[in-house]
Amino acid sequence: MSEIKEMVAEVVEKVLKHKVEKETVDLLEENLWAENVWQLLLENELHNVAVSEEEGGAGGDIEDLLELYGLIGKYAAPVPFIEHTLANYLLKQIDIKGYEQLTTYSITAPLQLKEDALFGTLKHVPWAKYAEKIVALAQEGSQQFIVVADLENAVLKNGTNLAAEPRSEVVFENMKALQKVPITAKQYMSLSKLVTAASVSKMNGALTTVFQLSVQFSKEREQFGRPIHRFQLVQQHLANMAGEQTLMTVATNNVQTLLGDGQEGLEVAYTRLRMDDASRAVATAAHQVHAAIGVTHEHRLHQFTRRLWAWRDEEFTARYWKQQLAKQMLESKMDLWESITEQNEAHVHA
Amino acid sequence: MNLPKVQFTEEQKQFRQEVRSFLKQHIEKGTFETRCDSWLSGSNPDFSKIVAEQGWIGMTWPKQYGGKERSTLDRYILTEEFLAFGAPVAAHWFADRQTGPLLLRFGTEYQKEFFLPKIIKGECFFAIGLSEPNSGSDLASVTTRAEKVEGGWIVNGAKTWSSNAQDSHYMVTLIRTEPLGEKKHEGLSQFIIDLKGEGVTITPIRYLTGEPHFNDVFFDNVFVPDEMVVGTLGNGWKQGLAELAFERSGPERILSTFPLLNEAIEQLKKKRDYAGLEEAMKLVAELWSLRNLSIGVAKVLEEGGEVNIPAALVKSIGTKFEQKIPEIVRLLLDVYPDLQSEKEIERYLAESILHAPGFTIRGGTSEVLYGILAKGVIAQ
Ligand SMILES: Cc1cc2nc3c(=O)[nH]c(=O)nc-3n(C[C@H](O)[C@H](O)[C@H](O)COP(=O)(O)OP(=O)(O)OC[C@H]3O[C@@H](n4cnc5c(N)ncnc54)[C@H](O)[C@@H]3O)c2cc1C
Repeated sequence: MSEIKEMVAEVVEKVLKHKVEKETVDLLEENLWAENVWQLLLENELHNVAVSEEEGGAGGDIEDLLELYGLIGKYAAPVPFIEHTLANYLLKQIDIKGYEQLTTYSITAPLQLKEDALFGTLKHVPWAKYAEKIVALAQEGSQQFIVVADLENAVLKNGTNLAAEPRSEVVFENMKALQKVPITAKQYMSLSKLVTAASVSKMNGALTTVFQLSVQFSKEREQFGRPIHRFQLVQQHLANMAGEQTLMTVATNNVQTLLGDGQEGLEVAYTRLRMDDASRAVATAAHQVHAAIGVTHEHRLHQFTRRLWAWRDEEFTARYWKQQLAKQMLESKMDLWESITEQNEAHVHA
Repeated sequence: MNLPKVQFTEEQKQFRQEVRSFLKQHIEKGTFETRCDSWLSGSNPDFSKIVAEQGWIGMTWPKQYGGKERSTLDRYILTEEFLAFGAPVAAHWFADRQTGPLLLRFGTEYQKEFFLPKIIKGECFFAIGLSEPNSGSDLASVTTRAEKVEGGWIVNGAKTWSSNAQDSHYMVTLIRTEPLGEKKHEGLSQFIIDLKGEGVTITPIRYLTGEPHFNDVFFDNVFVPDEMVVGTLGNGWKQGLAELAFERSGPERILSTFPLLNEAIEQLKKKRDYAGLEEAMKLVAELWSLRNLSIGVAKVLEEGGEVNIPAALVKSIGTKFEQKIPEIVRLLLDVYPDLQSEKEIERYLAESILHAPGFTIRGGTSEVLYGILAKGVIAQ
């Protein structure tokens, strides 16, 4: 772990721990959000992590940034931190300078590009309601592009995901592309991995909190004259959750480091795929342990379980990665073991 | 364990058709919209009134109270159709399912004459007052208490998680009528408490979606006349157990998310998605076999048999199934769960995911049911 990573993570954890309370997360349900937390993050230059110092950034790399995404998930922070910083980081990958104004992204499905004009509809775009710019995928003929557009003049249909986070349908009808950069399939793959690494990071954060809340609750809640963690069936839930949480934390940490080192294997895909099961198992067990109090709005648990239920069906889903992995396996000349260890004879000799 | 097998008669099939076209008509007219888990979260007193006009509340009860003396299986068919179409029947559900049968078995003549006709007309809804903040699974530890006064009792304490108490007129309430002694199952009684009465305060508890659903109900020196004690004083625990058989074995423990499964299969058919349909058919097979159990229990109940153990079985495996449906469907179809969506499938998926956690908690948690089941099979 880099020094800066530790330092930055500490600052963010402190801000989120003190500023993001149950009521702060609830703001989303009243069509508000934690603008004060956002301001604090900006003041501390945290939106400039993984932007190089030459470009006026705060230094650090993608590993540092992904670690912060984990904290956003861990505290369910209702701010567009991931959206804005990741949108800019995606632009950086294609040598475009990031934007100061609030920017979001959506690169799962392409818009149509005709010369410089954009057409089409993007669904479930995060925070588009508040953002000024969007980084999107576009297609002209068989060529793919990363484009940037102004959201000001776009037609938005605002809604929310299961966790009340802002999601909008954005309609592009002859909108000007402010930027367009052609990308290769390989580049697209690596951008999709970045986006997925961001999702698994925030999901792992939320999952960790769900687990911790459950452990805590099982010590506090008593029935039949003893804390419920003394019942073997509750112990089974706790043990299963511990297994899932550990699996996912180690996987997520691995992915973050690999991306930081510029290595792009299939690890992100494995992690995202496994996260689908983990989020279901942990959310189910946590609600079972909490019983009635856990399904109330007053309790915090749902702020994290609803995020898990929402996030697992957004962006590059497990279904998407399952298909990608199957395709890779079909086309690969390696057998399974060679592919897992990413090493075959040809590689070693080469 | 074994349960009777049941084949429906021609008349019963006809009755099912009648209920089905009634529900379809009302969906078309816009009386209600299909929702998952509507039997508990869809309280619509106006619709309950319409159902009552059909003679479909308390339909198995004696004619002298306004009932139709129809069979338990007719009622089973009726409730199944409500669930399949996701109809908002929560307002009258508890009264029809358990308060009526409770009063018929243990109630005084006065209670039957007073309550049953009103329930049947859809004018009197009941809530269930069992749980307390510190007494969930350990129900026998309840502390809401009553002290004897002339002509009745003075009740103090609080119940929680009372589903639909906000729309209900009365609550069957489990109350300690003797100080807590060595045996905590003793000294408990069931009172019918007028929820509009003096000293009763109902405050809503929001479900995780933010919707009002269940409630805290506080009793501050509430006077309950002697006529409102159900059955035998001090016998509340045993009487309550009898109710649980009705509560745990019905089709609502299998079909809460059925509208989603139904819509998913429609979509897979439209897409001619063989692989997806093959997977979905596994759910259908499971549904069919669970349904056999639930219907079998209904049959035994009709004949006055003992069903506590199989009822616990139906609830524990049935609710697991209803919980599984959204988890499988989301893998079979590319659906984005969205409560506000115009697409039914997206709405049903969102409703199912958000309501699923409660399935294996309400009416007794699965963990507690496993204990009952295991003890039951060992005792056999
Ligand atoms: C949607 C919904 C509607 C409801 N409606 C009503 C209603 O109308 N009226 C009413 O009275 N109540 C209602 N309830 C309350 C319900 O009956 C209780 O939630 C349930 O009995 C569990 O109690 P609890 O929530 O206090 O959990 P707890 O008893 O505190 O249980 C917490 C956890 O510990 C486990 N546990 C407890 N004891 C044991 C044990 N001995 N062995 C193994 N595990 C154990 C439980 O299984 C659970 O996982 C409703 C609940 C829900 C979710």
